[in-house]
Amino acid sequence: MMHDLQPVPAVLVKIVPMVVDNHLFAFRPEQPLADIMPGQFVEVSISGVGSFPVSSCDLVRDGRIMSCIRRAGRVTDALYRLKEGDTVGLRGPFGNGFPLQRFAGHDVLLIAGGLGMAPLRGLLQALLEDHDRQGRIMVLYGSREPGGLLFYDELVGLSQQGRISVRFSVDFAETLPGPHPQVFCRIGLVSELLEGLQFAPRRTVAAVCGPPALYRCVLEELALTGIAPARIFVTLERRMRCGIGECCHCVTGGRYICRDGPVFSLEQLRGMAGAI
Amino acid sequence: MIDALFPSYPLPQDVVDDLLDTIRRDWTFWGPCSGEDEVWRLQPLPEGLWPANAVTTFLTVKKLLLPQRAALWSHDQNSYRKAGAASPVAVIGVPLCDLQAVWYLDQVFAEDEPYLDRRKQLLLIGMPCEPGAECRCSRQLMPLAGDLFVGADRVWALSRAGQGLLLECACGVAEEMPLPWPEGPDGQRSQISEDLFLSSAAASIWFDESQRCLSCGACSAVCPTCYCFDLLDSAALDGSVVRRRAWDNCFFAEHGKVAGGHDFRPGRADRLRFRMEHKLLGFGDLRGQNSCVGCGRCRGVCPAEIDLDRIAEQLHLEVGS
Ligand SMILES: Cc1cc2nc3c(=O)[nH]c(=O)nc-3n(C[C@H](O)[C@H](O)[C@H](O)COP(=O)(O)OP(=O)(O)OC[C@H]3O[C@@H](n4cnc5c(N)ncnc54)[C@H](O)[C@@H]3O)c2cc1C
Ligand code: SF4
Ligand code: SF4
Ligand code: FES
Repeated sequence: MMHDLQPVPAVLVKIVPMVVDNHLFAFRPEQPLADIMPGQFVEVSISGVGSFPVSSCDLVRDGRIMSCIRRAGRVTDALYRLKEGDTVGLRGPFGNGFPLQRFAGHDVLLIAGGLGMAPLRGLLQALLEDHDRQGRIMVLYGSREPGGLLFYDELVGLSQQGRISVRFSVDFAETLPGPHPQVFCRIGLVSELLEGLQFAPRRTVAAVCGPPALYRCVLEELALTGIAPARIFVTLERRMRCGIGECCHCVTGGRYICRDGPVFSLEQLRGMAGAI
Repeated sequence: MIDALFPSYPLPQDVVDDLLDTIRRDWTFWGPCSGEDEVWRLQPLPEGLWPANAVTTFLTVKKLLLPQRAALWSHDQNSYRKAGAASPVAVIGVPLCDLQAVWYLDQVFAEDEPYLDRRKQLLLIGMPCEPGAECRCSRQLMPLAGDLFVGADRVWALSRAGQGLLLECACGVAEEMPLPWPEGPDGQRSQISEDLFLSSAAASIWFDESQRCLSCGACSAVCPTCYCFDLLDSAALDGSVVRRRAWDNCFFAEHGKVAGGHDFRPGRADRLRFRMEHKLLGFGDLRGQNSCVGCGRCRGVCPAEIDLDRIAEQLHLEVGS
């Protein structure tokens, strides 16, 4: 596919504050981009400041691309200064995304740390909207503090409807999050949420997204539960400037993470030096 | 690819003149020029001054294909406009190693429109060279790009465009012949295998060598096959914005860093190893293709005397066998 590195203008149609410095942004590109699959990403461009990669946290609806974006530095800060109706630029979608067909007919275990919930929420939406889907969906989600849990009410709601089961963890807290006393939440690391979790490893596909520290503790532990490494999917974050396998910033284990990834199975990651 | 044959024609002086005149009609000539500092640079050639040989100029044709800072587009009001087109340039006096390097860049940027726009405007004319002390080129390394190769008394057509020009100048009858690669350097190249590389993570040579590296970035600036880039915006007074593609360098501290401060290549040793991996093993679909064409520029320019060949040799001693 040919690339011109030129963004398409997109209107920032909606800003929904969720958690401090983690807002939802909906963009409507003037010319539709190719459909963004869960796990794929776009480059958001703010002219005069720069651009950054971001995954979508929803399916594309009415031509709108939805992302949950943390105010993390120079360019995201500029985004936070924009208003609804302002314009940005979008390039993409890039990357491979989650292999949805591999999730069909399986129980699904989603494990997120912090902002890692954003791409997994996109995957979750795709799973929930596949009406032929069979199998359970389990979400394990850890955050530093209760106030940082993204999509908290939505996840609790889905769990109350019996559509998913969910367990939260927070690193530290005075009081655990409410107002849902029946919600499972504990203090500790997200990997500890695996303890006592009833599931059938042979029937389960897992998807994991979070900071590098999460991968070091959770991936091999997951494999120990008996889920085949080829069925444990991980999305990698790297510095990404081009998104098309040219600029070299994202390269790990000799591969362009932006183009061959960012989603890899644990089986693949084991053969990529420096990936985890 | 080894000893590839190209159509070759006899080249009497009047044909040379004809050929150059024909090219001058559509292209501006660039070639190696030596300044008062005795550094050879690739520059527009003064009229009527032709190089006698190819020269490994300080910067290579890369500076025309991927200029140090090239505008990709401009943005004002609400529209993005593609940057203006490059003008046609014929580069004469390109050494064979640099023609291989262009072939390599052509593979990397095969789907990149701004690159291809510039690439189409270039006519590349190779010439024979005198191998210097730093030269480690190899005809077997990879194919080469280019349009013509002008030797002492023969000219080779390397592309369809080159062939067209030679037909226009009525060069006579073609004979399939190999290019006159210089004698000597072939075979002294540094190679490392995937296995050797993978098992070398803890080798002391990375630490010993990288300690001296100043992260100045000179090595990749002069390298004909280094292509890391960054995307940078600059705003003009009228409010319009230009996004440029600018050379980057894997020795720079920010190269592998993400927001939040995590750095995937935190130490200089990690970065030296990354550059070596890129040069000798390649990334993505080009994994396995050594892209060090052996021009010796990085060795020559490095203030810290870091030498990839010596590192490769040391790796074989330290980790190999
Ligand atoms: C595939 C992918 C998906 C992502 N999805 C999300 C998401 O859904 N929500 C979200 O909030 N963030 C996401 N990120 C991280 C987000 O890209 C960074 O937070 C963002 O680049 C920070 O940019 P900045 O200019 O504000 O920060 P600065 O630290 O000022 O960064 C300056 C420049 O460095 C580069 N850079 C810095 N950090 C990163 C990084 N982590 N990844 C890539 N490039 C970086 C950017 O290109 C940026 O322009 C994702 C990153 C990747 C690679
Ligand atoms: S010798 Fe150095 S500058 Fe020349 S191609 Fe090899 S790595 Fe690049
Ligand atoms: S030229 Fe030498 S000192 Fe400069 S970045 Fe390259 S290796 Fe380091
Ligand atoms: S982001 Fe440029 S190569 Fe991956």
